[in-house]
Amino acid sequence: MESIKLRKITSVWILAVFVLFIVSIVLGILMRLNQGEIIKQNSVTFYTNMTTHGLTMIGIWFVAGMAAINYLMERYVKTSYTANMIALVLTVIGVLMFWATTFIGKFHAGWTFLYPLPFKVMWATWATPLFLVSLTVLGLGWLIWSISLMTQILRKYSISQAFAWQHFKKNPSVETPPFILISMITLVGVIACLLAAVVLIVLFFAEFFSNGSFVNDALLMKNLTYFFGHTIANEMLYLGLAVIYELFSEVSGTPKWKTTWYVAVAWNCTLIFILTAFFHHLYMDFVQPEGFQIIGQLASYLASLPAAGVTVFSVLIAVYRTKIKWSLTNLLFFIGVAGWVIGGLGAVIDATISNNVVLHNTLWVPAHFHTYNAMGNVLFSIAFFYWFSTQFTENNIKSEKLTMATLTILLIGGIGFLLAFYVGGADSVPRRYSTYPAEFTSAAPLAVIGAIFATIYLIAILIFFFNISKRCLKVLSSPS
Amino acid sequence: MFKGIVLTIIAVWFTLIVNAQTASTGMEEETNIYEKIFDAPLHLSGEQQMTFTALYQQKPILVALIFTRCSGICSPFLLELKDNLQQTDDKSFNILVISFDPRDNLEDMNNMAQKFGLENDPQWIFAVTDSIEQLNQSIGFYPIWDNETGQFDHDALLVGVNIEGYITKKLIGIRKKHDLDLLISSVNNVFSPTYRLPNKNSLFSCFNYDPKTGKNTPGLGLLFIALPAVLTVLMLVSISYFVRNKSQRMDRPYSE
Ligand code: HEM
Repeated sequence: MESIKLRKITSVWILAVFVLFIVSIVLGILMRLNQGEIIKQNSVTFYTNMTTHGLTMIGIWFVAGMAAINYLMERYVKTSYTANMIALVLTVIGVLMFWATTFIGKFHAGWTFLYPLPFKVMWATWATPLFLVSLTVLGLGWLIWSISLMTQILRKYSISQAFAWQHFKKNPSVETPPFILISMITLVGVIACLLAAVVLIVLFFAEFFSNGSFVNDALLMKNLTYFFGHTIANEMLYLGLAVIYELFSEVSGTPKWKTTWYVAVAWNCTLIFILTAFFHHLYMDFVQPEGFQIIGQLASYLASLPAAGVTVFSVLIAVYRTKIKWSLTNLLFFIGVAGWVIGGLGAVIDATISNNVVLHNTLWVPAHFHTYNAMGNVLFSIAFFYWFSTQFTENNIKSEKLTMATLTILLIGGIGFLLAFYVGGADSVPRRYSTYPAEFTSAAPLAVIGAIFATIYLIAILIFFFNISKRCLKVLSSPS
Repeated sequence: MFKGIVLTIIAVWFTLIVNAQTASTGMEEETNIYEKIFDAPLHLSGEQQMTFTALYQQKPILVALIFTRCSGICSPFLLELKDNLQQTDDKSFNILVISFDPRDNLEDMNNMAQKFGLENDPQWIFAVTDSIEQLNQSIGFYPIWDNETGQFDHDALLVGVNIEGYITKKLIGIRKKHDLDLLISSVNNVFSPTYRLPNKNSLFSCFNYDPKTGKNTPGLGLLFIALPAVLTVLMLVSISYFVRNKSQRMDRPYSE
């Protein structure tokens, strides 16, 4: 069973994620209000907010997933508290450094900081190196954490068991729990993309310190950037899925999910496809070899199919004509899976080369990734937060009506906010514009609609925050 | 004491970082793109006066920066430009040949036009300006005077400017017709790809271009894309080997 120390550190992660989430949503709403011409921010402020919002969101939902699987993994293997603590400390330091570069240094190269943008200094000169240092600090903490969790799995399971290869045959002698399989697959992907970030940062620093005697290849840097960026954004979703596989049946009062041959095959395929799907970010790069473009398209299709197919199938089987104990936890899981699938479909539409010619860099892009994040992964993690907080304190969301009302607010806010992005994207409104040219007549009104619905979404998040954080604070103040 | 050492190391390191040069080479053609060109007053042949704005509002312009006393690249540069343009019948733009040497006057420029047989071609305009400093700065062109040779050390620079006065593309050096076509497309607001010039300091290129054969061959950079995945597999196998070996060692009964 997990230790009190683990409970406390998980509570700290939950509180930190919630606070940073709320601040980042506010930045998002400010961006939409500016695009809707309701407020006037200069473009530097807009792009500073955009960079802070993007990277903070990616960071917090990654650590939220990691904190959740670390907590649940204790059911199967002993995990390292020290690695968890190092990750927490380095995350706090990294976020503070990163926010200093944006809010004080005005660094605003976007969360993808695509080469050579960080070297086109349009901000304080110290901001570029500090930004790279902040990424190093974050990456180091997360790498230590991921390697530590992977090591703990490998202590108990051999490589083939951890990847559930014995399930490819009939009647396997050892059963690999789905939670271990998905965590292992995801951790390997996370480690690969964090190592891509290491190579990327080393190359950035090499050019920075070389006085012009070494320059980077833009194509290589873009490939590495998306190897890191695209992959981590996807893997954090899979961390959420590992949690669903572990908890959905438990909280619903149905039999525990098992690893079958098709679950094992699907997740093993996912590992390979997810590491090559990032090539779809380079469709517009005419120098990228055509073979990579084809791999990009195929992997984008194939990466989403097995994991999504098997998970949706499992969830549907679990709820179809079954008596389920519905609670906030499994309702959030259920809605989250729907959001993930809808966002995934939006992504596949965009990853199809012929569509990408039209949708590339339009609001369709934030539309689909906000769908599987704001209405997918975020809900997986909040479901875990809620479940976690009710483990040690009494469930004081007494009124079922309040739960339903909060979920309704969340759905209305989320769907409206996302629709404004989708409609804009379908109307070719470009992404990452602080204000829209007059030619895009629908852009500003849609941005206002987006801001209004995002505020409704924020209200639901605040209700969850007060509810869950109250109980996390109790866990923190309980005697060790 | 210890704190002091740590703080000093951090301070020195940050000073180094902040002072480190961010200058990158191979990007010279990318500077000042999509910035407005300076609205310099121009003196054209035939004693005409005109502003830059009035000129680019008529048609997009290709600006060639030269000086008439150049004993180096200026003549071959103009000659190649003329030859390349003769192969197209495109009249959608004008070519402005402008001197960046304050010693040049209109007569020098007219002589130069005659030397190239361009004095009666309405598409070619030869001019001087009193505001060359500001013009150079808006383009990102920095010729350096060399007292010893009595010459400017400078690039052969051709700049595309569209009818709104924005710099859309730059070409450095004597370039082939294909590159010129891209420049012409860009001043007509047609997408034209842009890429960093081949550079010997770029060690990890994904592809290496061979100017002799005109072919690309796979480069070291491609390996770097695979590196994170390879390292992950190695890490996975070695951790598994290490921890399982260790646990087997611990499980082994004490035999002595
Ligand atoms: C209601 C909540 C949210 C609001 C109001 C919001 C708003 C926005 C806006 C307005 C943009 C800029 C869109 C553009 O390109 O024009 C943006 C970008 C982005 N958002 Fe959100 N967002 C929210 C939630 C999230 C969540 C949950 C994530 C989780 C990962 C996220 C990640 C990102 C990222 C990565 C970008 C791209 C930043 C860049 O282009 O550098 N957002 N968001």
